[in-house]
Amino acid sequence: MRLEQAVGAVLRAGVTISSACMVIGLLVVLAGGEGDTARVLLHAGIIILLATPVARVVVSIVQYVTLRDWTFALLTAIVLVELAASAIAALVFNRRL
Amino acid sequence: MPVLTPALTFIIFGVGAASGALGALLGLGGGVFFVPFLNLVLGFPFGAAAAISLTTVIATSSTVSAGRAGKQLINLKLGMLLEVATAAGSFLGGVTAQFVSQSVLQKMFGFVAAAVAAVMLTRIRRRNVILDPSADPGVLGGRYYEEESGAEVTYRVKRLPLAVGASFIAGNVSSLLGIGGGIIKVPVLNAWCGMPLRAAAATSAFMIGVTATAGAVIYYGHGQLEPALAAAAVLGVQLGSWSGMRFGAGASAKWLKVMMAIVLFILSAMMFARGGR
Repeated sequence: MRLEQAVGAVLRAGVTISSACMVIGLLVVLAGGEGDTARVLLHAGIIILLATPVARVVVSIVQYVTLRDWTFALLTAIVLVELAASAIAALVFNRRL
Repeated sequence: MPVLTPALTFIIFGVGAASGALGALLGLGGGVFFVPFLNLVLGFPFGAAAAISLTTVIATSSTVSAGRAGKQLINLKLGMLLEVATAAGSFLGGVTAQFVSQSVLQKMFGFVAAAVAAVMLTRIRRRNVILDPSADPGVLGGRYYEEESGAEVTYRVKRLPLAVGASFIAGNVSSLLGIGGGIIKVPVLNAWCGMPLRAAAATSAFMIGVTATAGAVIYYGHGQLEPALAAAAVLGVQLGSWSGMRFGAGASAKWLKVMMAIVLFILSAMMFARGGR
C-alpha cells in the first residue's frame, strides 16, 4: 500500500504547488504587472506541472527497489530514460531556435 | 498566433472549463474538444494548440489519479508497464510533430475524431469481472471494490502484447495531436485485454500524465507553449472537470454521448476541410 500512498502524495503536492503558482502568476498579469515576477511564476507553474509525473516515476523506482522487485524497478527506470530523452530533445530544439 | 490579451486569457479559461466538464462527463480528456477550438476558432497554429492541450492533460491526470490512488481502481503495475510503450510513442510523436505540416496534422485529427465518435456510439460495455474473491488475478491483474455488484471483484489481463502496441500508438497520437490518448487505450484494454471499463479508464488516466509530459516537454523546449495561456487553460480545465465530476453524475450519459458524437463528427469534417486546402 505504500507505493499507492507515495504516488498519491507526489501527484497531489505537484498539482497544488503548480496551480498556486499559475493562479498568482495569472492574477499578476491581469492586474497589469508586466515585470519578471509573473513570467517566473507562470514558467515555474508549467515546469512543476511537467515535473510532477517525472517525480512520480522516480518515487516508483525507489519503492520498487526497496521492495526488491527488480523487473518493475527496471521498467520504471526505462520510462524515466524515455522522459529524459524527451527533455534532451526539447533542449536540442531550443538551441536550434 | 493570436496576441496575448486579458480577453483571450478569459476565453481560454472558459473553453478549458467547458472541455474539462465535458471530458469528465464522458470519461475523456477534454483535449479532443480543446485542440480544434484553439486551432479552428481562435486561429492558433496546430502545434501551439496541441502544446496547451497537453499541459491540461497532465493536470487532469495528476488531479484525478491523486484522488484515486489507494482505491485499487488504478492498476499501477500494468500502468507502469504500458508507460514504457506510451512514453516511447509520445517521444517519437513529439519529435515528428516538429517536422509534419499543419494540414497533415489536421487531417489526422479529423480521422481520429471521427473514430472516437464511432467508438462512442458503439461503446462496448463488457464487464470482464470475476466475482469469486479467491480467484487469482495473476501478476498483472487486479482486484477492486465494485459498487455495481457491491463486492470485491477480480480481473485478469489478457493479450498483453496487444495492450503494449495500443499504448505505443496512443502515445504517438497523443503528442502529435495534443490529446491524452485514452480514447485508443481504454476500448482496447476493455474489449480485448480483459479489463473492466472503470479499471481501464482509471489506469489510462493515470498513464496519460507521463505520456503527455514526454510530448509537452518537446513543445515547451521548442517555444510553442505560451505560459500564461497554458496556465489559464489548466486552471479552467481543473475547474471544469471538478464541477463535471461533482454535478454530472446524474446526467443522462446516453444522450450526452450521442450529442458529443455529433459534435465530434462536425469537428472531424471541419478539420478535413481545413486540412485539405
